[in-house]
Amino acid sequence: MSTNNNSNNVYGGDEINAIVLDPGSYHTRLGYAGDDFPKVIVSSNYGIHEDDKSNKKKLFGESINVPRSNFDIKPIMKDSLIVDWDAATEQYSHYFKSILNIDFNEQPILITEPVWTDNKYRQKFVETFYETFSFPALYLAKAPTCVSFEQGRPNCLVVDLGHDSVSVTPVIDGICLLKNSMKTNYGGRFLDDQIKDFVKSKENLKVEPTYKIKTKVPTLYPDEESKFDLKTLPTDITESFEEFQQNKIWHEFKETVLEVPDRKLNSSNGQQAASLREFYSQSNYKRLFEFPTGQSLELGVERFELAESIFDPQVYKFKDESLSARYPANSGELSIKSKYDDYRPLKRVRKAESNQSTPQPGATGGEDDQSQPSQPDSKSSSSVEIRGLTQLISHTLSSIDIDLRASVAHNIIVTGGVSLIPQLTERLYNELSNSNPGLKIRLHAVGNSSERVNQAWIGGSVLASLGTFHQMWVSKEEYEEAGPERILNQRFR
Amino acid sequence: MSANDILDVLNISRDDSKQPAKKKQKINAEPAPRQTGMARELYNLLGPNTPPVNITNLSTVSRKDNVKFKVSPWTKMPFNPNKTKKDGHEVILNHWVKGSKELLEQDEKDKPYFFDKFDVKLDIPELVDEDTFDTYMEEIREHQKKIKEERKQREKEKKEQEAKDRERREKEKQKLQEQKNSNNSTNSSDNKSNQETDNAEEKKKESNGELSSSSNTSKNEEITGNASPSKVKVSEVEANEEKETTDAEKDEEKPAEEEEEDEEEDEEYLKEPWTYEETQYLFDLCSGLELKWPIIYDRYNYGTDRSAEDLREQFYSICLKILDSQETKNPALIDSLRAYSKYRELDRKQYLENLLKRTPAEIAEEESLVIEARRFEMAAKKMLLERSHLLSLLDSPQSTQQVQQYLSSQGITNLYNHLMILDKNQKKRQAQQSKSQVSNQEPVPPPIPIAASSSFKKDKSFQTHLQQYLAGVLKQNQNANPGVKQEANAIQQLLMKRLTQKEEEAYGLFFHGTEKLTPGVTLRSTQKLPGLQQKQSVLKSVNQVFQELDIPTAGGTSWKPVMPTRKSMAAYDDLLKSVVALLELKKGKDKLESEIKLIKSQRGLQ
Repeated sequence: MSTNNNSNNVYGGDEINAIVLDPGSYHTRLGYAGDDFPKVIVSSNYGIHEDDKSNKKKLFGESINVPRSNFDIKPIMKDSLIVDWDAATEQYSHYFKSILNIDFNEQPILITEPVWTDNKYRQKFVETFYETFSFPALYLAKAPTCVSFEQGRPNCLVVDLGHDSVSVTPVIDGICLLKNSMKTNYGGRFLDDQIKDFVKSKENLKVEPTYKIKTKVPTLYPDEESKFDLKTLPTDITESFEEFQQNKIWHEFKETVLEVPDRKLNSSNGQQAASLREFYSQSNYKRLFEFPTGQSLELGVERFELAESIFDPQVYKFKDESLSARYPANSGELSIKSKYDDYRPLKRVRKAESNQSTPQPGATGGEDDQSQPSQPDSKSSSSVEIRGLTQLISHTLSSIDIDLRASVAHNIIVTGGVSLIPQLTERLYNELSNSNPGLKIRLHAVGNSSERVNQAWIGGSVLASLGTFHQMWVSKEEYEEAGPERILNQRFR
Repeated sequence: MSANDILDVLNISRDDSKQPAKKKQKINAEPAPRQTGMARELYNLLGPNTPPVNITNLSTVSRKDNVKFKVSPWTKMPFNPNKTKKDGHEVILNHWVKGSKELLEQDEKDKPYFFDKFDVKLDIPELVDEDTFDTYMEEIREHQKKIKEERKQREKEKKEQEAKDRERREKEKQKLQEQKNSNNSTNSSDNKSNQETDNAEEKKKESNGELSSSSNTSKNEEITGNASPSKVKVSEVEANEEKETTDAEKDEEKPAEEEEEDEEEDEEYLKEPWTYEETQYLFDLCSGLELKWPIIYDRYNYGTDRSAEDLREQFYSICLKILDSQETKNPALIDSLRAYSKYRELDRKQYLENLLKRTPAEIAEEESLVIEARRFEMAAKKMLLERSHLLSLLDSPQSTQQVQQYLSSQGITNLYNHLMILDKNQKKRQAQQSKSQVSNQEPVPPPIPIAASSSFKKDKSFQTHLQQYLAGVLKQNQNANPGVKQEANAIQQLLMKRLTQKEEEAYGLFFHGTEKLTPGVTLRSTQKLPGLQQKQSVLKSVNQVFQELDIPTAGGTSWKPVMPTRKSMAAYDDLLKSVVALLELKKGKDKLESEIKLIKSQRGLQ
C-alpha cells in the first residue's frame, strides 16, 4: 500500500475504471475513465426499422447509414438534451452491454450535461439511469467543468462551439456560473443549414447523397453537365434517411471549405467591405468542393461569407423560408439566450455600462472603429439584440464579477467542432482584444482536432479517475434518501 | 598472446566501447572450451570472432529463469470512499491495490480512505436561533443606520461646501465682470491696474467673510489667493467663464441625482429586510460552497434581489455577532470581519470597472507615463548613490567596539589589515554594483554613514596610525588613573609636537605608509625584499653579476646584505632592481643586435 500511496501523492489518481458518457447533439461519446480517448463515438441519431409485421427495431451507430426501406432516422438529442428517452436508454444499453460488455456493478458512471438543463430534466435523467442500469453510483458533471478539468484550469471561460448550440460558460474553481452562461443556436447546424440553403439555390447543381451514387465523372459545375449514375436501391427510402444522408454533405462542406475572414465582412464602411470582399475573391482564396455527384463547385468569397455568420449571424439571409423557420425568430433576428438571463436585474445595469465602454463588439481593425457603432444598433433596435460569438463572450465577460474578469479573460478555452474552422481563433482573439482593451485576453484551443471535439469527454475521464472525486459519487440509496432536490442542487453542482 | 595482441600487431583497432562487454563474455564462456581441451593460446586467437550466439550461455539463461522473483501481487479490491463519513452512504467501487488479498482485507478494516484527508470542511459558525438572530439584526440595523447617517452627514457637508464654493465663484465672476469693465476704461498703466486688482481682492475677501461660515474662511482665502493671478489676465478669464457656468450648472444637477439615489437605496433597504429563513438559506449555501462568493452569488436563488455585496455583508455581519458572543474569541478574525464595508467594496469595484474601461490610447499613455516616472526614479536613486559614495569618501570608519582589543601591537596590525580588507571589499562591491547597474538592475543607494554628516570631526585621519594609537593609549591611561596624568602629559606633548626627521631616526621611528605588513613580529633579516620578485632565471643571472661584483648574497638562496639595517636593506633592494633592469637592457640590446645582423646578412650587406 505504501508504494501505492506514494504514487498517489504525485498524481492524485485512483483508477476505478468508471464509465464516462458524454451525450452531445451530434455525437455521443462513451468510454472508460482514465483513458485518453472515448472507446465509442457514435452519432446521436438512431434508425428505426419497421418490417412487414410492423415490428419496430432500433439501430445505432454505423448501421444507420445503410439504405433500407421504411427506415427512419430520428434524433436522440437536441441542444445536448435528450428528446427521445426510449431511444437514448436503448442506445446506451446497447453500447454498455453488447459493445463494451460492462458489468454494471463494477463501476460507477459519470455523465456530462450542459449548463442549460433544468431540474426536471435532470431528475428524469438521473432516475432513468438508476432504473434502467444497475450502476452502483453516478454523477452528473457539467460539460464546461469537464473542459476546465481537461485543461487543468480551475478558473476559465469555456466557449463551446457545438453542433446545435454555441455556449459560453464561466467556470470558477471548477464550478460553472449558471447566471452568467450564454447560449445561442448559431452553431454547426446553423452553418449546415446555411450551406444547404446556399447550395440549393444554385441551379443545375445536382445534390445526391453518396449512398445513391454508383459511378461519377468529375465535372466543373457551371460549365459542364453532371455525369453520374445512380445505384439501384430498395424502394421506400424514407425522407428522414435521405435528409440525414444529405446533411453529411453539408457537414463535409463545412469542415473542408469554410474559412473565417480576418475582419468583419459587412463592415459599415462600404468601401472597406468592398475591398475586403475583393481581397477574398482573389484566385488564391478559391477552393473547389466536389459533391458526391462529381460536380465541383468553385467557391471564393462565399467560403468566408458562410463562416462569417458565426461572428455575425445576420450576415447570411436564408432564401428558403422553411430553413430559416428552424431558427425560432423568423425575421432573421435570431437570438436564444440562456434562461438564466431572466432573473438578473442587476446585471442588466452593468451590461448597459459595458456596452458603452467597449467599442461595439465586432469592430475589428482599429481604423473602422469610428464608423462601427452606429450600424448594429440600427439593426437590433427593433427587438432582441443578436449576438455573434464575440458579442456573446464580451457580454459574459462584462457580466461576471469584476474581480474574476481578469483571470477568466486570461483563460478562455475554445472547444467544440465548429471551432476547428480555420482562422476562427485568430479572428476571435483580435476581436476580443479590440473590444476589451483593458483585459489581457488569452485563448486556449487544443491543437489536436479530435481532442477538441471530445474535450468534454476527456475532461470527464480525468475527473472520474481522481482519488478525491470518489467521495462525490451518488448511489441510488443516497438519492432516494436525500431526495432529488438536495442531490441535484448540492451534489451535482 | 591474445587476439588483442595480434590486432595490435596488425594495426587493427577495435571499438573501445565493445571491448569490455566482450571480455566479460569470454570470462563467462571460459570454462566450456577448457573442457574441450582446446589449447589456451589457440583459444585466445579466437578473440572477437566468437560466434554471436553463445550456445554455452544456455545454461546461464536457464539459471536466470531459475532465479525466482517473487511476483508482487495486485488485488482488485472493493472500497468505500465514504467509509469514514458519518452520513456517508456506502458506495462500493473497485480499484487495484498492491498486496495480497488477505493482507489487504485485514488492513482495509481500520484504514480510512486514502483521499479522505483532502475532504476538508470550512469552519463556518452555526446560525443562531431566531430570537437572537432578531436581536442581532436589530443591532446591525441600528449600526448601519448610524453609518448611513454619518455618510449622509458627510455628504451633506460636502454639498454645503460645494454650494458655498459655487456661490462664491459666482460672486467672483460678477466682480470680475465689473473689474473687467473698469480695466477696459482705465487701461493706461500697469501700476494702476495692479492696484485695482489688489483692491478688488480685498473687497472679495470681505465679501467671502460674510458669505462663508467661520470654519472655512481660511480655505476660501487660499482659493482666492490662487485665483488672483488669473484676474490680471482678464481676457483669458472671459473665455473660461462660459465653461465655468456650465460646470456649475452640472454640479447643481448632480447632487439632486445623488439624493434620489440615496433615497432609492433606503427604500430598497427597507423593502427587503433579511428574514431568518433567508439568512439560514445563505448560511447553508456558504457552508455548502465553501465560501466561494462568486459561486454563492450565482446559486443564490431565494426570490429576493440581492447583490453579491449584500450577501457578503449579511453573512459577515451575522458571523461577527455570533463570534463576538462566543467565549473563545479570535480577535484577528473579528477585526477582519469588521473591516468589510459594502460601500467601500462597491467603490472598489467601480474603480476597477473604470480601469477596465480605458481605451487603448489611454492605456498606452498611462504606460508611457509609468515608464517615464520610473526613469526619474532611477535617476534620483543613481544620484543618491553617487552622493553617498562621495560622502563615504569623506568619512573614515568609526569604531563601535571596545578599543581594548586593539591595544597590543598585534591587535593594531590586525585592525589595520581588517580595515584594508574592508576597503578592498568595498571597492569590489562598488565595481560589482556598477556592473549590475549596467545589467539594468535597480541600484539601491547604500545608507549614508552617520559619520558622513558634516559635524563629524575628521582630523584623526590626518594622524599616523602610531600617533593615533599612542594618543589612544594616553587617553585611556588618563581615564584609568589620573595619578599618572602628569607623566602622560609629558609624553603626549612630545608626541603632539611633530618630530623632525632626525629625531625620528634617532628614535628608530619609521612609518610604513601604504606598505603592507604581515601580522606578528618579524626579523628584518628574514624579510623578503620586493626586488626579489623575479623569475628564477633572472635571479640566477643577477646572482652571477653579484658574484662578479663581489657583493655578498649571504650565501645560498637567501638574498640579503650581511648587516640588514633598514638603510642597507633599502639600498640592497635598489641595487637588486637596478641589476635586474640592467640585465634586461642587455638582453634587449643583444636581441636587437642579432636582429640587425640577421637583416644585414639577408640584404647581403656583409
